[in-house]
Amino acid sequence: MAQDREQPIAVARAFALRWPGWLAWLSPGGWVIAAIAVGTTVVVVGGGSARPSGEVRMWTFAPPHARMYEPLLEQWASEPDGRRVDLEVLSLPALERRMLGGFLSGVPVADLIEAERRVASRAFAGPLDAVGFLDLTDRLREDGLLDAINPASFSPWTFRGRIFGLPHDVHPVMLCYRADLVEAAGIDVSTIETWDDFARVMRPLMADGDGDGEPDRYLIAFWTTFPDQLEALILQAGDGFFDEEDHLRIATPTNARVVASLAGWIAGPGRIAADVPEFNAAGNKQKIDGYVVAAIMPDWLSNIWRQQMPELAGKLKLMPLPAWEPGGRRTSVWGGTMLGIPRTAEDPDRLWELAKRLYLSPELSRALYEEGDIVTPVKANWSDPIYDRPDPYFSGQAKGRMYLDLAPQVPRRTSSPFNTMAMQRVQDALVGLVELLRDRPGTDRATLESRAMDLLRVAEADVRSRMDRNVFARGETP
Amino acid sequence: MTARARVGLAPYLFLLPFLVVFGVFVLAPLGESVVLSTRQMFGPGASVFVGLDNFRFLLHDPLFYKAVRNTLVFTAGSVFIQLPLALGLAMLLNRPGLRGRYVLRLVFFSPQLVGLVFLAVMTSVIFQKRTGVLNQALHALVGVSLDYPWLERQIMPTLILAALWMYVGFNMIYFLAALQNVDRELTEAASIDGAGPGRRFLAVTLPAIAPVGGFVVLLSILGSLQLFELPYILLTGSGPDNKGLTIVTYLYQSGFETGDLGYASAIGWVLAILLAALAVGQRLLAREARA
Repeated sequence: MAQDREQPIAVARAFALRWPGWLAWLSPGGWVIAAIAVGTTVVVVGGGSARPSGEVRMWTFAPPHARMYEPLLEQWASEPDGRRVDLEVLSLPALERRMLGGFLSGVPVADLIEAERRVASRAFAGPLDAVGFLDLTDRLREDGLLDAINPASFSPWTFRGRIFGLPHDVHPVMLCYRADLVEAAGIDVSTIETWDDFARVMRPLMADGDGDGEPDRYLIAFWTTFPDQLEALILQAGDGFFDEEDHLRIATPTNARVVASLAGWIAGPGRIAADVPEFNAAGNKQKIDGYVVAAIMPDWLSNIWRQQMPELAGKLKLMPLPAWEPGGRRTSVWGGTMLGIPRTAEDPDRLWELAKRLYLSPELSRALYEEGDIVTPVKANWSDPIYDRPDPYFSGQAKGRMYLDLAPQVPRRTSSPFNTMAMQRVQDALVGLVELLRDRPGTDRATLESRAMDLLRVAEADVRSRMDRNVFARGETP
Repeated sequence: MTARARVGLAPYLFLLPFLVVFGVFVLAPLGESVVLSTRQMFGPGASVFVGLDNFRFLLHDPLFYKAVRNTLVFTAGSVFIQLPLALGLAMLLNRPGLRGRYVLRLVFFSPQLVGLVFLAVMTSVIFQKRTGVLNQALHALVGVSLDYPWLERQIMPTLILAALWMYVGFNMIYFLAALQNVDRELTEAASIDGAGPGRRFLAVTLPAIAPVGGFVVLLSILGSLQLFELPYILLTGSGPDNKGLTIVTYLYQSGFETGDLGYASAIGWVLAILLAALAVGQRLLAREARA
């Protein structure tokens, strides 16, 4: 056994002794390994941060946005004091990770970041000086942009009274419906003012034509698993989850009424909704088949439908959302994007000029609508005749003008990082109510609203307990 | 430096790359997470020392208990349904007379080749309302409603079923290897002594495969307690009313959605302690059984 142990040592020694001086410290194999280790370290450390000086880096998550920006960025680069812009399209999760990772560790991120609402709100937490984006409030005021842009569009990027992003959009919401089915049934949608009207007037479309005991179609695509639509409908009613000072207020009579109504859409004898999701092949098939009559549609979603369901061209129409009560708001908001300048960016003045050129120019507003069906938040550009152009996909309606007419009514939103949590808890409350209705379909409206209030109180208490233990959310800055 | 000293240094030099990588990417983050668990964070830029407050809040957090309950239900499903099935399959496919057993082994193992993400997506397609294969089949065969919401009302059974699909074949391979090492002479001797198949299984096969069985049980428990990708993809989060919330999903939500990496670290350490306790417990039980 001892001989076995000595043998490798003898071999290694024999190798080592053939090499002169310090080279004999390692065997040839050892030197090869060391050389690979040193070489790869040099490549990783030296190659990772290579970046031409004078270049601006910009991140976006939307390939269509990138296509729209490229001509403007090239033009900017060719100007005497312009710089080349390296525009990188990242998936939303990748952009979120890189952005938060950079803010967390202090590692430089891009000089301009185009962020979607839910991603950007992750950066709006803690004291103001901890926000990774530059405070743009004074620049916006000095340039008169606070009045030039639709006010509600600033709200998702406003944190503790300061604005950290230039708004990209308004994203008003309308109701998209199958005009072919509705008109064939002789239904006049102009008689619809409220959601109750909608359910009553459209009800004949839910007939059981094939005799299988179930309606052939439902009136609206909505389910407990649709948080964005839920938030849009709650915002439409007026209360939302936070007040204007960002104080939590989930358990309000208005919210209870809306959640009770929505539960009644999903379960019980008044059911009108079906689980027909967006961004999903099965959902698209059901929409094409006419399994649902209507869907909640922000401007950007109309573009996705156009791309994914060309079969529906000429069969759809838009109308303002039915209100929750007579005379109530006829729209809401869903989605949103901003352009922010990280604090680590060099030369923020130049970047601010570039940001304004990208987001405020009439050419880009036009391109935004032509390529993305998104209406601009810049009020001066609303007079562009492109918004009056009939849209064949929506049966020749002037879709852009219809969305713009609703833009001033779009509700403000919170930028609170607790908003997602609040929405999830309200979703839980909705699930609870739906289960109640499934167990006891005969539950009357008053009982349902009272139960909704109880569940919303539970939701509010849960979110509040998490906010209260958070020293930063309490407004303390240790 | 003498030749013997140089040779003595060599093993450490060879170990150095691993030690550096292990130190930088495992030990340092572990240490950092201990520090983080004593801090409260709010987004990427705000952090304050809170001592054991994260752990105190965790003890009274109903969502954490819901996550623990769901995770334990899934773990129980894995151990009490998945492993007996895997063992049964292994015994079936270990029979020399079975035709096509090599193909069947590949078939049962094949979900491992495509990965959990693909399988989760496939499961969501199968369990979809109206258009899903399962509802279509059940509707045609027994008249179940096409709208039956598996991913709303039967979340844990659906997760367990999807995990079965993924891991039964994987665990079967372990049992198969163990069964092939069972001493055939002992089995034959038991047969000659008049033992029936049940008696042979309990008295000969089971004791022989017990060490591998213990290992598979431990592996299954540890894997189940770390369940994340399956509910995250299948339910796009934790499902309605958090019915699919697991410990790791809650950790992820706390750290990366709410932005409190401190609380997420505390959850992570509680899970780590739970896992370590289970591993030690299993080792002690195995040692006692051997003794």
